[in-house]
Amino acid sequence: MDAAMTREGGARSTGTRPIDANRWQGLAWFAIPMMIAAVLPLLPFVNDYIIAATVRALIFIALGQAWNIAAGIGGLLSLGHGVFLGIGCYTTGILFNKLGLPPWIGGWVGMLLSMAFALVMGAMTLRMRGVFFALATVAVSLAMVQIARQYVDLTGGADGLALKFIGNSLWAMQSRTPSAFLYAALVFVILYYWITRRILVSKLGLDMQAVRDDEVAAAACGVPVFRTKLIGFMLSAAMTSLAAVLYIQFYMAIDPEAAFGLTQAIQLQLPALIGGLGTAGGPVIGGAVMIFLSEVTNWGSTKIGVSGADILVYGLLLLVVVLRAPKGIVGWWWAPSRRREAVP
Amino acid sequence: MEAALLLTAQAIVSGILVGGVYGVLSVGLSLAFGVMRIVNFAHGELVMYGMYVGVIASRDFGIDPLWVLPLSFLLTAVVGMLQYQIVFRRFVGYATLQQLLAAIGCALVLQMVVQLIFGADARTAVSMFTGQYLLVGPLFFSQAQIVAFGIAVLATIGVELLLRSTGWGKAVRAVADDLEAAEVVGINSQYINIGAFALSTGLAGIAGTVLVTYFPTSPSTGFQLMPLIIVATTIGGLGSIGGTFLGGLFCGIVQQLTAMLWNSALQDVPLYMLLLLFIMFRPTGFFGMRSE
Repeated sequence: MDAAMTREGGARSTGTRPIDANRWQGLAWFAIPMMIAAVLPLLPFVNDYIIAATVRALIFIALGQAWNIAAGIGGLLSLGHGVFLGIGCYTTGILFNKLGLPPWIGGWVGMLLSMAFALVMGAMTLRMRGVFFALATVAVSLAMVQIARQYVDLTGGADGLALKFIGNSLWAMQSRTPSAFLYAALVFVILYYWITRRILVSKLGLDMQAVRDDEVAAAACGVPVFRTKLIGFMLSAAMTSLAAVLYIQFYMAIDPEAAFGLTQAIQLQLPALIGGLGTAGGPVIGGAVMIFLSEVTNWGSTKIGVSGADILVYGLLLLVVVLRAPKGIVGWWWAPSRRREAVP
Repeated sequence: MEAALLLTAQAIVSGILVGGVYGVLSVGLSLAFGVMRIVNFAHGELVMYGMYVGVIASRDFGIDPLWVLPLSFLLTAVVGMLQYQIVFRRFVGYATLQQLLAAIGCALVLQMVVQLIFGADARTAVSMFTGQYLLVGPLFFSQAQIVAFGIAVLATIGVELLLRSTGWGKAVRAVADDLEAAEVVGINSQYINIGAFALSTGLAGIAGTVLVTYFPTSPSTGFQLMPLIIVATTIGGLGSIGGTFLGGLFCGIVQQLTAMLWNSALQDVPLYMLLLLFIMFRPTGFFGMRSE
């Protein structure tokens, strides 16, 4: 409670503090699982399967954190973030396969492309209201599926693009064992967590939250509504695209459905939705829950020989979250303490 | 020159035939939006349910899919009622993002239930018109598409008549116009809403069963059709039955023209661009209700 009133947080965010503004408590809750993940390879009972599952969780956490910037903090429910995941993956992959450029360069090129794309897409769609914005982003994303299928020479068409494997190499960001990716993914998640926390208390973040909560009131207070939305959207696109480097290096392949498809777009949102929109900790908890449940159902459903049970679980999760806990796990867990804090 | 003209004419003709079915696919979505402001993202899944009814009738019982139209109407109407009671009841009147997310959740659940039961592979159904063709001059008609078009037009006219000239239809329109005023004069809006929603999803079922006579289905068909449905509805005008049907026709023509004259793999891209342009400059479509 007192810790929330530290130098940066207190002065600027009076009144509308985010749920986990209780800075040190939230940080502790974040640090413990990260440390456990970091020492995971050293533990005796842990095999590559568990490490790979943890990497998957961390990748989706990072992607969820990126989406959370636009949707949670900015209120822009984009169903088209697959576009930026796809641009990141395809740019990195194509530059490596065709020109031999390492992901260290390709990732940044992909990020710049994504930001340019987000600029154009945002300029066209960000003036629309809620549901229409969401539908417009779906349209862009599905157009990309057909385009990626069409230009076979560049993208490998519907079969997708497979990275050339050259063995363990830091230069090409490739590794036979998942442990290397564990640390790369941890760096991403910790960095994105830090960025989210900084943004929540920054001028930009406060502007975004004001626009999210009431556009008209924000405009009346002198917040440049459209510009704030656009910057938030581009930032989120850049973060998604950088995390996509991790995605393609870990999975070693990408195809149009996995990049731009609707199911993927929903998987990008679930971490933040389950964990708690607009909080720094939400996507971390949500991503972990999501991947844990999907691993368990996949393990169970391969035993009885059916496929797609994990998507069914995603759908049920989405329904439960929207109908029963709109603020996600974080909002539900910290609800009583939040009520105490709400007293001015 | 002659050939290009012929190709264009053929594209327009098949565009109209396909577009009629797109129209009736979308009418249900438009109805639900017009009466309750619900964007049912699971509408495509209900179309897919209608398609599976046709597949089961044709494959397992050897019945022509066209004879089980009432059955698929009933089945999807019941699924729609459940959907309304469990999920959409609390969102009536506001097209919010929460509502859209809930609808997407419904769509995933409905889709995966089918996949778990029937598997992920594509299936076809055979009606008495499947694979029959008609030559009129130089133009080429699929009989299944002609029949589907006819049923689509009849269904749309039926809904329009139901809304215009029955007491129930009057009540639905009253609720759509002003829910509170309708309640004041003694209309139970919950009954009206659930009925209208059942009609909307039942139409999806009919459209699906008709569509499956010439278009194979798989669990992911709902997600494939959904964007088309959204485009048709937005261009025609959310909430307007006739407008949405015309929007579907328009989509069919644009799609077929793109496919025949440019590139069939990119046949939907111009439609998505049109959707963007419409949302930007004319979100009410050609015939839509005034925006909120």
